[in-house]
Amino acid sequence: MEQKRRRPLRGVTLRLALCALLTGLILLVAVFAPLLTPYDPYAQDMSAALQAPSAAHLLGTDTYGRDVLSRVIMGARTSVFSSLALVAIICVGGSFLGVLCGWLGGKVDTVVMRLSDLFLAFPGMVFAIAVAGLIGGGMVNAVIALAAISWPKYTRLARGQTLAVKSAPYITAAVMANNTPLQIIFRHILPNIAGPLLVTAALDIGTMMMELAGLSFLNLGAQPPTAEWGSMMSKGRSMIQTSPWVVLGPGFAIFLTVLVFNFLGDTLRDYLDPKRRGVRSE
Amino acid sequence: MKKRLTALLCLLAMLLPMLTACGGKETETGDNGEKVFRYGTTAYGPAMSNAGLNPHDNYSGWSCVRYGVGETLFRFTETMELEPWLAAGYEWLDDVTVRIDLRQGITFSSGRSLDGQAVRECLEDLIAVHDRAPGDLKIQSIAAEENAVVITCSEPNPALLNYLSDPYGAIIDMDYGVTEDRNVAGTGPFVAYEIADDHVYLKKNPDYWGGEVKLDRVEVTAITDGDTLTMALQSGQIDAVQGLPYASLPLFTDNPSYTISSADTSRVFFGAFNYETPALQDLRVRQAIAMAIDKESFTETLLNGNGTPAVGPFPGNFSFGSGAVTAPGYDPEEAKALLAQAGWTDTDGDGYVDKDGEMLTIRWLTYPGRMELPLLAEAAQATLKDIGVKVEVNSTANSADILESGAWDVYVSAFVAAPTGDGAYFFTTHCLADSAKNRGGYYNEELEALAAQLRGTFETEQRSELAAEMSQIILDDCGFFFASYLKMNFVMKSGVTGFTAHPSDYYEITAQLDMTM
Repeated sequence: MEQKRRRPLRGVTLRLALCALLTGLILLVAVFAPLLTPYDPYAQDMSAALQAPSAAHLLGTDTYGRDVLSRVIMGARTSVFSSLALVAIICVGGSFLGVLCGWLGGKVDTVVMRLSDLFLAFPGMVFAIAVAGLIGGGMVNAVIALAAISWPKYTRLARGQTLAVKSAPYITAAVMANNTPLQIIFRHILPNIAGPLLVTAALDIGTMMMELAGLSFLNLGAQPPTAEWGSMMSKGRSMIQTSPWVVLGPGFAIFLTVLVFNFLGDTLRDYLDPKRRGVRSE
Repeated sequence: MKKRLTALLCLLAMLLPMLTACGGKETETGDNGEKVFRYGTTAYGPAMSNAGLNPHDNYSGWSCVRYGVGETLFRFTETMELEPWLAAGYEWLDDVTVRIDLRQGITFSSGRSLDGQAVRECLEDLIAVHDRAPGDLKIQSIAAEENAVVITCSEPNPALLNYLSDPYGAIIDMDYGVTEDRNVAGTGPFVAYEIADDHVYLKKNPDYWGGEVKLDRVEVTAITDGDTLTMALQSGQIDAVQGLPYASLPLFTDNPSYTISSADTSRVFFGAFNYETPALQDLRVRQAIAMAIDKESFTETLLNGNGTPAVGPFPGNFSFGSGAVTAPGYDPEEAKALLAQAGWTDTDGDGYVDKDGEMLTIRWLTYPGRMELPLLAEAAQATLKDIGVKVEVNSTANSADILESGAWDVYVSAFVAAPTGDGAYFFTTHCLADSAKNRGGYYNEELEALAAQLRGTFETEQRSELAAEMSQIILDDCGFFFASYLKMNFVMKSGVTGFTAHPSDYYEITAQLDMTM
């Protein structure tokens, strides 16, 4: 079988470049947040409490007189890095488990799949709230709670993909060439199933960011005084009618970031999808 | 395209009536043209330990009295002085015996007449089953006469009448008992007909002894989320609220559609130090922490002026209150100096003081049930950071378990310091060796002696002096710190009358409540 690859569609490439640029910008803001904040995001100044947006405070100030813009910038670090860490954990861990199930089959596969059925049977967010409530608040615990419920998706996807490539001639050839199972998994299976996993992970970043923000909104995520978008919205919600800027700043940040990561995921899927890119098999 | 537009219009047409149905009830009349008062509150439910109306259970007496079902023998005036309510008068026969004459012509909602026997049965059940009442009342025996009771205490109890005015002292008909849904037969202007953990529905008591009850029905609904409460009032779904977030109050002030009734209460937001924590065994460290809390900013900015900075446990309107005691104010420089004297300095330049290689970290435990407490915690976290103390805030509804485990250094809570108008209550509850809520293990021998003296003192002025002296001792020891006193607000539609905030925090719905819209 011969594969001929056409040049990727120009539009997709452009979109991907744009998404990568925007993602890069968000990551840069997160990495260099302490250098970018115009004020100390944790410094309280009660005399400047709840000031409307002005030249001095572009997004206004919160109840404690803290600059909302500075907290939104600093919050990028907590929100984005936590989401990335969470997606990395569930993607790597879940995928590894899925590949093992697909490769080994038998009892291991049965046990892990029934376990994943069990986790998938729970309403995800409710289960995460229960776990976070049990192990206590804090960003690390929120990540653990969400990781505990989110891994089965990757396990099932990786298992399915592994089963699909397991019977491919190049895997048979690798077995006959006396490669160890680990060598086969890392050299031949993972590179061939990475595309769908990567796309799923990219699409999940936005979702996980929303879920982490949700847990923080319920006081199960970031603890005071940590600047985190979900908890900032939670603390400001009683001011939505009187001082809306306290909520709008972090709210818009969540909206924009989730949008960018979702676009990135979509575009990555289009870019890697052979059908969309016009790959034809002969 | 045309099809899509049609579908969209159909969808909107379907949604519109649904949205309209979600809107508020604009009228105060019920199905039969009844006058119905709908009241939303954050202060009812299992989390407040006051669900149900049985006054002999935990704090449910507060609900019984607040919602106009039960009445006590005596009650407090606006200036927190005692006046007879179901009682007609009283006379101390000796140090331990008091005779209380009852008003005549009063009946319970069950139809039974209020007499000496009914009061005796009620009080006997109270001291048999309630957790706090036996220790407060110290009743040895109760003799019933036709229209009086004679109460004998096991030891002199000058505050007996005050304690009988606590909501747990609401007189209910024990023949009627307590129903499965926690209903009781009281003597108040309203009778409950439906009780659950999130609401109490009441109808007027047509035979109320205190005059005509102006409303036909009252619906009390627990709405724990402040924002929901705000929107329910704005939409007209409810007629009055208690417990609005401070951030929402500006929406209703200077608004002709609403009126606000406020009262300074003796509910104090205060912290207890844990004496098990080695660093906090040093008076200078406790003083430094207390001095680093900016009470003025907390009350002025975070509470929008709806509170008064506290000095001691009691507010200034008590003769033994803030005006009678002294405590250092907000002084971060002096706080730093005290920490330095105690050996806590920032040796590694990380912004936090340390000693013998250990950073001074305070586990600040509080709970979110009172919205002021998390605000205070976050404000204190910043001001304590300024003096180099790291604060880890744990604001959890599960605070009781953490208190039990001892994994805390400062526990900040809200407490009505003088619900009975007398100073003894705060000390007996929080500060003595045998106090049920002395969580931090505070002890002072002189305070114990003064408490014993207070127990035997009948003279009001002397009691006030003793209470002030005791307050000063706990302030000097810095076993506790006091942040602010609560200003309670009721916000209501402008046509609501007779709904007034009371300093005691437990008189709300009365026969005078009316709506003239």
